[in-house]
Amino acid sequence: MYDAPTMEVLLGITGKDFTLIAASKAAMRGATVLKASDDKTRALNKHTLMAFSGEAGDTVQFAEYIQANAQLYSMRNEADLSPSALANFVRGELASSLRSRKPYHVNLLLGGVDPITHKSRLYWLDYLAALAPVPYAAHGYAQYYCLSILDKHHHPDISLGQGIKLLNLCTDELKRRLPIDFKGMVVKAVTKDGIIDIEFDDDKVVHAA
Amino acid sequence: MDTLVARYSRPAYQQENQFDDIEEYDYAADSVSGPSLKFAMPPVAHPSSWLRAATDDRSNPHCPIKIAHGTTTLAFRFQGGIIVATDSRATAGNWIASQTVKKVIEINSDLLGTMAGGAADCQYWLAWLGMQCRLHELRHKRRISVAAASKILANLVYQYKGMGLSMGTMCAGVTKEEGPALYYIDSDGTRLAGNLFCVGSGQTFAYGVLDAEYRYDLTVEEALELGSRSILAATHRDAYSGGFINLYHVKESGWEKHGFTDTNPVFWKTKLEKAEFSNVTSDFSEEV
Amino acid sequence: MSMFSQNPLMNGPNYSFSETPRVGAPEGAREHRFDPYTDNGGSTLAIAGADFTIMAGDTRLTSGYSINSRFHRKVFKIGGTTTDQHDAHLVLSVVGFAADGEALMERVDAMCKMYRYRHGRPISVKACAQRLSTILYNKRFFPYYAYAILGGLDEEGKGAVYSYDPVGSYEREQCRAGGAAASLIMPFLDNQVNFKNQFIPGSGEGHALQERERRPLTRQEVEVLVKDAFDGAVERHIEVGDGLQMMVITNKGIEEIILPLKRD
Repeated sequence: MYDAPTMEVLLGITGKDFTLIAASKAAMRGATVLKASDDKTRALNKHTLMAFSGEAGDTVQFAEYIQANAQLYSMRNEADLSPSALANFVRGELASSLRSRKPYHVNLLLGGVDPITHKSRLYWLDYLAALAPVPYAAHGYAQYYCLSILDKHHHPDISLGQGIKLLNLCTDELKRRLPIDFKGMVVKAVTKDGIIDIEFDDDKVVHAA
Repeated sequence: MDTLVARYSRPAYQQENQFDDIEEYDYAADSVSGPSLKFAMPPVAHPSSWLRAATDDRSNPHCPIKIAHGTTTLAFRFQGGIIVATDSRATAGNWIASQTVKKVIEINSDLLGTMAGGAADCQYWLAWLGMQCRLHELRHKRRISVAAASKILANLVYQYKGMGLSMGTMCAGVTKEEGPALYYIDSDGTRLAGNLFCVGSGQTFAYGVLDAEYRYDLTVEEALELGSRSILAATHRDAYSGGFINLYHVKESGWEKHGFTDTNPVFWKTKLEKAEFSNVTSDFSEEV
Repeated sequence: MSMFSQNPLMNGPNYSFSETPRVGAPEGAREHRFDPYTDNGGSTLAIAGADFTIMAGDTRLTSGYSINSRFHRKVFKIGGTTTDQHDAHLVLSVVGFAADGEALMERVDAMCKMYRYRHGRPISVKACAQRLSTILYNKRFFPYYAYAILGGLDEEGKGAVYSYDPVGSYEREQCRAGGAAASLIMPFLDNQVNFKNQFIPGSGEGHALQERERRPLTRQEVEVLVKDAFDGAVERHIEVGDGLQMMVITNKGIEEIILPLKRD
């Protein structure tokens, strides 16, 4: 049940006190870009953000189902689940979905900052319900280009500014080498104070060498 | 509240028994039921693959039941509301089943839906959506938002994902809270808000003309002309599109129809008066 | 047999198969095909006039290259109070798979009778047309293999024709041909009923030509048109022939006319 990587880009980078999540803005159907400002992320609570890609329809349905349950938990208990608890909850949902008549076909990055320890967290999940805590991650073809860059340049103690520079390094390479235009990235950072939108220069032209 | 939450907080894959209740035909219910969610199912292990073999003329050209397909539809938001335009051709394989299809579906006096993909799927579910919108009005004493209406439809088709529904539809409406609102919904469950969408086999041709001249501050006259010209472009290049140009303008006071116009005279008028379509010769004696 | 676990009719009448299950195959490797449809050929035709509607169909029933009946009806009066339908006001034609067509006709007829019983008046064509659409769509995932056309007179007394695809998409039209010879008859109708591609002689050249003005046809003209359409179809299609059944709906009731067609 292996599926080919997609042209949708999901990237995640952790640093000293933040987690960066980035997702491509193109919503594609066949040979058409239906929307160039799509937001493939959902906030699960004040300090946890989830990015998603995969089968059309499944993605938003699954993400909003998870979002609703995370918010319900927060309302009932007057306390938010930690990123690790949410990641394990999502994995459980994907695992039972996988063994049902119609599994969700969704790949995810779940990032956040632990509200108690203030440590940054990033989890990589795929539709087969694999879960891995990682310092940086990517989904789709972006993996093949970006992981080597991150392997070379990433350090766990980087600041948010350095993280954004690292992200630029990745998106520049994607603009150079990915055969399609993914219409730029939605970039968000999770810090101990909450989720913030990051201004990101999508119009920068990158020329192939 | 928890029982209510429990009922609705289950993911879609757990709601499996929705099709299992095949009942004996009920004549008493027959004359009262409107669009409902009860469907007869073929007695086989995989209803969807059986259905594909029987009805999908792309995967099985010799399938016994041909379902009408093929289209160009477009809608875009602008300063004066929303323009909705479609062609009117229905095809089953290479056969033109009709040249007079109404592909703009009047959900109610404020909301419009468009039809691409299976004609019956769009007609039935948009009529059903009209019913849901009316129920919303009766329950909440106010008009439904376009966002909510489109989400009702998106959630519905998502329940039937993989069963063989085929629809690419746009919901257009203008409300006080939202202003002009436009949503794209398709049968694999995608729902997108946007300024401009083209859907159907002729979408690329329509996008070509529409994208080049689209601005949000278009006047109403310019917008109507652009919508009509984009459909004309698609009917000219896409063999599965043709017939008549169906034009609508949606405003806060409701939608307004702007004609169901034969493409042929519009084509010749465009060619002769604006010197476009130079690939076509109007002098029939000219040497090739 | 797990294949039929969903079938409530398991212990009663069952579905037929085009292929018998193979015997002597390895354990558990039986191949079944669920093929509940055949095409019984034939053609139908409907034309709406100013104050009448004519519905017609040939009466040949075929299966492959065999002719199984030379007088099998596919145009039915519906919505009457009795089985002889003497007071019916609607006509339904069905073509495609005869069994599905007949089942569909019986359901629509029963629905019309229920309507009359509940509301104390006959159903309008408009209402019946909408209801027929939902009846067809309720079998969206196991369709009736039938192309239906519904005819009657609308609230203003004008002729009304509604045509359907097998899963219930529908449209009110001036005329429609259905079934095996639809592709032969429909272009003829476009030309003769809607005057498509007819121009006023000498009114211009090429695209400047003026279209011939449309006018409503009389009942006599339409009856001739229907006969001509079927004579043409019989000449060029093997599944059409034997007899022509015509139903003429006017405000005086429904008149049935049977005419012969070539039998070869």
